[in-house]
Amino acid sequence: MTVFRPLALAAAFIALSATTAQAQGKNYGKQLTLKEKTSISAILKDPKAFNGKRVQVEGTIVEVCEERGCWIKIASDKPFESIRFKVEDGVIVFPLDAKGKLALAEGVVKVSTLTKEQAMAQAREMHKERGTLSKFDSTKYTQSITDVQIMGEGARVKE
Amino acid sequence: MSDGASPAPSTREHGIPWRRWSIVLHRDVGYLAVALTIAYAISGIAVNHIADWNPNYRVTKTFTTVAPIAATDANVIVTTAMERLQLTDAPRSSFQPDSNTVQLFYKGTTYHVDLPTGKVMVEATRSRPVLFEMNQLHLNHSKRAWTWIADLYAMALLLLAITGLFVLKGKNGITRRGAWLTAAGFLPIVYWLVFLR
Repeated sequence: MTVFRPLALAAAFIALSATTAQAQGKNYGKQLTLKEKTSISAILKDPKAFNGKRVQVEGTIVEVCEERGCWIKIASDKPFESIRFKVEDGVIVFPLDAKGKLALAEGVVKVSTLTKEQAMAQAREMHKERGTLSKFDSTKYTQSITDVQIMGEGARVKE
Repeated sequence: MSDGASPAPSTREHGIPWRRWSIVLHRDVGYLAVALTIAYAISGIAVNHIADWNPNYRVTKTFTTVAPIAATDANVIVTTAMERLQLTDAPRSSFQPDSNTVQLFYKGTTYHVDLPTGKVMVEATRSRPVLFEMNQLHLNHSKRAWTWIADLYAMALLLLAITGLFVLKGKNGITRRGAWLTAAGFLPIVYWLVFLR
């Protein structure tokens, strides 16, 4: 019976630590190091100027990869814009319930050109994941597009 | 694991009683490893089939329709959508991916409202009880201290495998029946090397 007292104390300590950590937000991946934030709208306005640069962005999480939690979409400071924050599979896993929470995220901007077919396939997959395949309009994809994403290294998700 | 019998005395009168130690370690480490073995085994099956289902969350999508929303101001759009959906609590946040859509984020539920038609997709996300936590442990989402705990558990499994070889003596021991069964245990690895790699 004497074994139960230290076990109960340990459990209480763990529960208290968890509550404190949760109040500060949850960290994912590497620690954030940059002091200055870059606005997502600035990156999207001139992506090539940011290609290969490490940035820290802040915004609401508006979408999370349903299957593996391996990417999130962060809303821009301007309407109708968002950027994909892609992380290495299994290294960082974002929970689905992060949707709508505020993220402070750090990573390297990657700009690539997708062919018409690649862009169409990517969009179709996104619609499939969201359950909005009926909204997918293949006629919108008539030429290659510039894809901008942040290759994520670390993030802090606040309530 | 052991058959529950008391540790048999070593066959040697002098020196380290290896068999006795094997039995004791196998028995006690086995008890300690039960909880994590159950968690890792169940979660292993669950995440193995991730292509067919989501082992962490149950996501349900239902559809409804409200009156179209003609407003253009972002705040008005959100309040109108809340009214139409009879939502009294303010959302965690909201987002407009395009001029025709607004998304309202609540804990565990997202409303996707198509403004011109009033069509609404209600996406509810619930974590699968117990399985979610087991998967978190198995895939080490927490990192930090869990990495060390998982390493310790892996070492415990290694110890169980090695000591398990020497628990029994005689016709069921490692020199006879046990040798064949241990060799058979390598067949899946050979199969993978030859056919799947």
